[in-house]
Amino acid sequence: MADVKVTPKLDNKTLTKSFHRWFWGALTCFSQEHMQTFGYMASMLPILRKLYPNHDDQVKAIQAYTAFFNTNPMLGTVIVGVTASMEEARADGKAIDGETINDMRAGLMGPIAGIGDSLIDGTLIPILLGIALGMSTGGSPIGAVFYIVAWVAIAYFGQRFLYFRGYKFGDQAVSFLVGKQGAAVRTAIGVVGSMVVGGVLASWVNVTTSLQLRGADGKVFLNLQQKLDSIFPGILTVAITMLCWWLMSKRHISAIWTMLILVVLSFVGVLLGVFNPGLKY
Amino acid sequence: MTISWFQAAIFGLFACLCSNSCMAGQAVGNYTIGRPLVGGLVCGLVMGDLKLGIACGVAMQLVYIALVTPGGTVSADVRAISYIGIPLAMVAVVSQGLNPLSGSAANLAKSIGTLVGTVGTVLFYAVAMMNLIWQSFGWKDVKEGKLNRLTAVNFGWPWLSHVVFSFLPTMILTHYGATAVTALRTALPMDGIAMKTLFTVGGMLPCVGIAILLRQIVNNMADFIPFFVGFTLCASLHLNLVSVTVISLLFAVIMYEIKMAQGSNGGSSNGPKAAAEASGSGGSDDDEEEDI
Repeated sequence: MADVKVTPKLDNKTLTKSFHRWFWGALTCFSQEHMQTFGYMASMLPILRKLYPNHDDQVKAIQAYTAFFNTNPMLGTVIVGVTASMEEARADGKAIDGETINDMRAGLMGPIAGIGDSLIDGTLIPILLGIALGMSTGGSPIGAVFYIVAWVAIAYFGQRFLYFRGYKFGDQAVSFLVGKQGAAVRTAIGVVGSMVVGGVLASWVNVTTSLQLRGADGKVFLNLQQKLDSIFPGILTVAITMLCWWLMSKRHISAIWTMLILVVLSFVGVLLGVFNPGLKY
Repeated sequence: MTISWFQAAIFGLFACLCSNSCMAGQAVGNYTIGRPLVGGLVCGLVMGDLKLGIACGVAMQLVYIALVTPGGTVSADVRAISYIGIPLAMVAVVSQGLNPLSGSAANLAKSIGTLVGTVGTVLFYAVAMMNLIWQSFGWKDVKEGKLNRLTAVNFGWPWLSHVVFSFLPTMILTHYGATAVTALRTALPMDGIAMKTLFTVGGMLPCVGIAILLRQIVNNMADFIPFFVGFTLCASLHLNLVSVTVISLLFAVIMYEIKMAQGSNGGSSNGPKAAAEASGSGGSDDDEEEDI
């Protein structure tokens, strides 16, 4: 794109407006049928208004955005930026039609959704929450405030950056995310994510057993929890977590059924005296 | 502890802002206002007991640390967890006379939060269904070329879906639910099997949240290793999470270098030097050749 002289028609103000509409409205009119389609149309509207002064051209152009769209809204910002630049090239008379734009959108929404879900929901959010939880011990509001400030800043400026990157480099901008360097970065971030998740589990979850076996003289000869702790601290917590993981990923049982299995497990455990929270009024 | 209509209405408003098809944008609504940790702060302020609110929020955040919604399908919706679950959990903890910062209060909160979590799923699908009406308005507008109306379709009309399926249910459930939760105290004794099970389940529920995350992260068995390293650092060495994050960054740099070296240089690069290099720059090809 660098060698072609394009007279830029989209100014910063229009692009920012389009970005804000995506940031605030990507999912507001969500339905199972069309998901983010209306959020997309609403954020392309300022762009189309700017590029096509003629009302009929605007109506014709919006047809490209009526197709189904759904992706991770955080990283998906880059796709909106890319379409803005493609739309500009189209308005400039380049050989781009609505179908080309749609193919690009359809081809990108899958990979971007996969990367975004694992990177944002699976890694970044748990890290931020893990740190914030540590700050909230004793009922302190600092953790929540930290999370709000850190996440909103990352989300707003990160998405803004992605939008304008997408606009500037067109569909080349996406190659970083799905290319080799992007894959290496994702592997690296994945390591951070897994370690922090392990840390969150150890710091915040503590499954213990109350099973004690007494001899004939009434003395405790086996305290199961102490025995387990001497092998590997927190082994029971890990065991329950692995059970849940196994149920969900290997047996394909849903999260809700997994929770119900835990209810049954707890109920039987309480009856047998393996679990006892030891509470009284 | 009771919840007045006014307090319940505030919870209803926040529920509108933060659902999965949120009115405050995904980053601010769903990911910020909707997270139980933040919900705990809001509920604590509204109910006038910040410490208890945060404690309940922290407990529930652990269960829902992973809220991945692949392809727009939800297993739980944050509006119910944060703005129905936390207020009711606060009432329950107070009526049971538990110390807000104790583990048993946290376990009770987790159980109650999860019970109402499924309510959120129903509300989510209901809102998405009702949005179909506004979308049908939108299609008509596009067809007739009335593009000015699209903004209202995306930002205005969906509020109505939320009034019906977020605001009203949240307001009613928190107001009347508080009375029900208080009445439960006499029905279920603390040392009975039902309450014992409830508290035990509460202690285990975060394992499900972590397992959902693991499902996202783990592709092969070797991916469990960093997870266990992180667990051991905290469980056996008692490090805090910031320290674990710092240590994990070291491994991340090494992993990045290995991945980048794999394709280009065939593995002739010397690991430690390359890793040290990477912390400064992106590690371009020229640098690597100079090293050898």
